[in-house]
Amino acid sequence: MTVKESGVAGWLVDRGVAPVFLAPSLILLVVLLVGPFVYMVGISFTDLSYALPNHDGNFVGFDNYRRLMRDDPIFWSSFATTLGFVAATVSIESLAGLGLALLLFHHIKRRRFVLTLLLIPMMLAPVAVGLMWKLMLQGEFGMLTHYLRVVGLLGAQTAPLSTLSLVMPTIVLIDAWEWTPFVTLVLLAGMLSLPREPFEAAIMDGAGPLRIFRDITMPLLRTIIALVLLLRGIDAFKEFDKVFILTGGGPGIATELLSIYTWRINFREWDLGYGAVVAFMVYLVVLILCSVFHKAIYWTEARETRR
Amino acid sequence: MIKADSVALRRWRGAAALALGIAMMAPAAPEAGAWTLEEAAAPYRGVTIRTIGESLPPLEALAKMKAKFEARTGIKVVVEMYEHSEAVNKVMLDLNSRRGRYDFILQPHRELGRFVTNGHLVSIDKFMNDPKLRDPSFKPEEVLYQRLWKEISWYAGKPYGFPFTALTMYLWYRADLLNDPKERAGFKAKYGYDMVVPSTWRQYTDLAEWFYRPEKGFYGTAIQGKRHEALWYEWLNFLYSFGGDMMDVKSGSECGPIIVNSPEAVASLEYYKSLIKYSPSDTLNYFWDDAMAVMQQGKVFEVIMWNDSTYAVEDPKVSTVSGRMGFDLIPQGKGGKVGQVEGWTYLIPKYSKNQEAAFLFIQWMMAYDQQLEQHMNGGASARPDVYAAPQVRAIPYSKASMDTNAVAIAKPTIPESPQITDILVRELSEALSGSKTPKQALDRAAVDMHKLLGDCAPMRYPAE
Repeated sequence: MTVKESGVAGWLVDRGVAPVFLAPSLILLVVLLVGPFVYMVGISFTDLSYALPNHDGNFVGFDNYRRLMRDDPIFWSSFATTLGFVAATVSIESLAGLGLALLLFHHIKRRRFVLTLLLIPMMLAPVAVGLMWKLMLQGEFGMLTHYLRVVGLLGAQTAPLSTLSLVMPTIVLIDAWEWTPFVTLVLLAGMLSLPREPFEAAIMDGAGPLRIFRDITMPLLRTIIALVLLLRGIDAFKEFDKVFILTGGGPGIATELLSIYTWRINFREWDLGYGAVVAFMVYLVVLILCSVFHKAIYWTEARETRR
Repeated sequence: MIKADSVALRRWRGAAALALGIAMMAPAAPEAGAWTLEEAAAPYRGVTIRTIGESLPPLEALAKMKAKFEARTGIKVVVEMYEHSEAVNKVMLDLNSRRGRYDFILQPHRELGRFVTNGHLVSIDKFMNDPKLRDPSFKPEEVLYQRLWKEISWYAGKPYGFPFTALTMYLWYRADLLNDPKERAGFKAKYGYDMVVPSTWRQYTDLAEWFYRPEKGFYGTAIQGKRHEALWYEWLNFLYSFGGDMMDVKSGSECGPIIVNSPEAVASLEYYKSLIKYSPSDTLNYFWDDAMAVMQQGKVFEVIMWNDSTYAVEDPKVSTVSGRMGFDLIPQGKGGKVGQVEGWTYLIPKYSKNQEAAFLFIQWMMAYDQQLEQHMNGGASARPDVYAAPQVRAIPYSKASMDTNAVAIAKPTIPESPQITDILVRELSEALSGSKTPKQALDRAAVDMHKLLGDCAPMRYPAE
C-alpha cells in the first residue's frame, strides 16, 4: 500500500513534476561525483603523465591494472599497512568509546561539561593535531617524550616517531586520541535514546548489570555501533593529514598508508594514468568493505528478527 | 723603434686620460642609441608580471627589491611564495593547464627535464638575441659560474634561464669547541692526533663520536633522515665523496648506465647510516629545518648543511651559536673534493603572455648590484664577482660556499629525475630505519630506476 501525499505536494506528485525538483540535486551529484569518477576510470586506461614527454593520455588497455596487480609491491605493502591501521584504530576507538560512553551514562553527573572537554580533540583540524603531536613527541624537546623517559616508558635514545617498532602504534594512539570522543558521543546519544522499559523489566527479573549490558544494551545499540564502525572505518581508510605531517610515510615505508601512496603517485610523480588505478582501487576496497559490513549487519538483524 | 713606440704610447695614454676625464665629468646620461632598461621596458609599461617560488630569504629579498624595478619600468611584479613542494606542484598544474598564470617561475633544477621535454619553456636565447631586450653589458657567459649555470639552467645544450640560487651543501661545525684547549687535549689523548677541521670521513666520525654526549643533550652530528627530499640531498654529498654516483653520465640531461648500487655507493650509505649513532634520537624524523634548529640551539657539533641556511645559524637573533661556527668543504673520500649542488632557476613558461617583461626583470635581477643585495640578504648568487665583494668576503661562510661552487657535481635533470629522487628517498629511508641493508636498498633502487628509465639505463652492477 502506498501512502498518498496530500495538499500541494500531492498535487505536484500526481502531475509528475517531482523529477523537476529533484533535478538540481541530481545534476550536482552527476557533475561533482559521477562525472569525475567516470573520468578517473577513463584515465586509468591511459598513460597520462604530466611528468613524462609523449604520455598524453594514449590508450593502454589494462596495462596500469596489470602493473598494480603484478608489479607494484609498494602498493600492496601500503594496502596491508592501511588495513592494519584501520583495524587497530577502529578497534581501540570502539572499545574505548564504548567504555567512556558507559562511564558517562551511568556514573558521571556533570555529563555535558565532561563531554564538551572530551570533544576538543575531535574539533581540531587534523593538520593541527599532527603538528601538535609532532612537537610533543619530538626527540629532543618534546614534552611527552621527556615525561615518557622520566617514567621509564621510553629509552633515553628512543624517539617514538623515528623508531620502526614504535611509529605505527604511536600513530594509532594519536588517531584514537582524536576520534574516540566521536565514538563516545554517538554511542552516548544512542544510550540516551534507548527505551527504559526493557531495562526496568530486566531489573525486575533480577538481571545483573553485565547481563543487562550483554542482552539488552548491546543488541539495542547494534545499529548505532555498526554505523560508528562504518564511519570510522571509512575515515581511517582515508587518513592522510596527520600521518603525512608526523612521518611523511616513513621511516622507510612503515607508515605509508594508501592515501599517502596515492598522493605520491599522483602529485609527486604526476603519473595520472597509474594514479587513477590506485585511487580506483582505494574506492573499490572502501565500497567492498561497506557493502560487506552492511550485509553483515542486516544479515544479523534479519536472523534476530526470525528468532 | 722602441723609442718611437714609447712616445706614441705616451701620447695615446695622454689622449685616453683626457677622454676618460671628460667622460667622468660628463653627466651620466646614456649615449644616443645605448640600451637602457627604461627604454626597453617602455612597451610593457603598466603590465603586471607574476612569479612563484619557495618562501625563503632569497625570494623574500627579491620581493623587497622589485620596487626599484617597478619604479624604473612601470612593470608591476607580483611574487607568490609557497613551501618547497607546494611551489613545485602549483607550477606543474599551471604549466599543464596552459593557463599562463606565471610569467616567470622559480623552480628547482631537477624539474628542468620535465618542463623542457614537455615543451613548457621558452629558451632564453630568444630574448638574449633580441637587441631591444638584451642589456649589452649583461654577459652571462662571462659573469656566471659556467658550470653552475649549465648545471642549473641548461638542458640538452640549450639555456632556459639563469640561476636564481646556486645552492650547495658544506660542512658546518662548532669552531669554538674545535679550538677549546681542553677539548683538544682530550681528543688528542683518545685519538692520537690533533683535533682539526675534518678533511676525511674518518676524522668526521671521530669528531662526531668525541662530542656525542647525550647525557648533556649534546650530539656529535645530526643527519636529515626523514623520508623527505632532504635525505636524498644530504646523502648525495656522501655518495659523491665516496666516489659514487647515480648514473654514469656527463651531464644531467643524459640517460646512462645506473651505478647507484656500486660498491662505492653502498659504502657511502653504510657510512652515512653509521652516523645515526652519534645523532639525536629523532634524527630519522629530521629534515633540513630540524637539523638547522638543533644546530642553532647549540646541541650539535657538526652537520652537512645548505648554504642558503647558513645566514640563519649566524644570525644572533635566532641562533645561540652565532659567531662560534666554522664552515668548510665536506670531508674528502675516494671522490676527492666535491659538492652537491641544487639550484633554483629562473624560467619563462611558453604560456606567459608577458615573456619580454619577465625577461627584463630577470635580466635586471642578474645584474651585479641586485645579485649583491640579494646575496647579502640570504641569497646564493651564481656570480663569482659577488663573492669577491668585500662585504661578501667578510661573511664567514663565503669561502666554503665558493669552494663548493667550484667543485659542484651535476645530478640528473632528465624528465624522470623527480621519480628517481622519490625511489631513492624511499630506499634510503628503508636502509636507515633498518628494514633493509644498504646493499638491499640500493639494489632495489637500481632495479626500480631501470624499470623507470628502460633501455637507456642498463644496470652496471646487477642486483642480488
